[in-house]
Amino acid sequence: MHESADEHALERILGKNDEMADHNREHFRRSKTCVFNVMSAPGAGKTTVLEWTFRNLDGKFKPCVIEGDMVGNLDADRIAKTGTPVYQISTGRSCHLDAQMITRLLHSESVEKSDTIFIENVGNLVCPAEFPLGEYKRIVLLSITEGDDKPIKYPVIFRNCDLVLLTKCDLMEHVDFSLEEAEKRILAINPNVLVMHVSAKTGYGMEKWLAWIVRQISEYQSEIKKIAHVHHSAH
Amino acid sequence: MHEAAIAQSIIDIVLRRLASIRSDNAKAQRVSVILGEFRNVEPESLAFAFENMREFYPELTECRLDMETISAQAKCQKAQHLYHPEPTSFYLCPICESGIGCLIRGEEMDVVNVVIEIPKAEEEKRHARIG
Repeated sequence: MHESADEHALERILGKNDEMADHNREHFRRSKTCVFNVMSAPGAGKTTVLEWTFRNLDGKFKPCVIEGDMVGNLDADRIAKTGTPVYQISTGRSCHLDAQMITRLLHSESVEKSDTIFIENVGNLVCPAEFPLGEYKRIVLLSITEGDDKPIKYPVIFRNCDLVLLTKCDLMEHVDFSLEEAEKRILAINPNVLVMHVSAKTGYGMEKWLAWIVRQISEYQSEIKKIAHVHHSAH
Repeated sequence: MHEAAIAQSIIDIVLRRLASIRSDNAKAQRVSVILGEFRNVEPESLAFAFENMREFYPELTECRLDMETISAQAKCQKAQHLYHPEPTSFYLCPICESGIGCLIRGEEMDVVNVVIEIPKAEEEKRHARIG
């Protein structure tokens, strides 16, 4: 004979990841570090966009990169060549970064010295969307070689981001991709997102991207100053 | 396949609930979850991952995973019409053809219930201790 105990309390399945992400976010707030989570399918050009960015930041910030890949450190090697400190996370069998992987790096030397961190997530339009890492803003890249149907097929990642970069626009004449259609589809899923057309190879649209990054960092710094002021006043 | 990570998270929640009961012989019989349509979870993959992973935990080997999919409901951007956003219509409102404003339902991913069996003799002892 057995008795049954019903436990009805609702609990978020990924609540532990969310807690770790909150922990990371708070850590970054205290260290005044602005963090971007950069996501896309494999080969959309995340590393190329970051390489261009670091070559054109003109020493304005102290960036650092956390590279997420299932195997190898090819992307980290490319980033290192720009002179930007980079940490490699090899996720092994896992198709995404999770918050705890970032937590382990919080006290690494270059992370502590940085004021801006770009987390290059594992190339995947599905899984990374489910695992917040403690970032301030989420950026999704969609290359025009992937097709303008991708926002319809992968709505969750496009729903939960702040900026979409339509990359590789220098290849426009070689592919059947409608920038207008893609943008319309993205905005139908996420009305608050900003969409930019870029090519890291030719530099097309990249100044606008850089200006967006600089603005986000500046807005983040103002926001945390305000929070610090409120906390200070409350005491 | 992040369903493996999600299955592990469900198992961790069940193990925490079992630990909170403080019974050496309690076993989980069922865990019920809700999965919103606007989450990246494939129920069949999740069931497969859960069934394989529960084998590593003696107190979970008989635990069934019940899944309920919550269909998405949105308010459209233009006129706040309530509708079911679907990929076949590009997630547009069937009345005014504007996109998703806010999602009212469909982003759930929660454990809603865990059923745990405690041996009757042990349960009586527990009651006696409490009494």
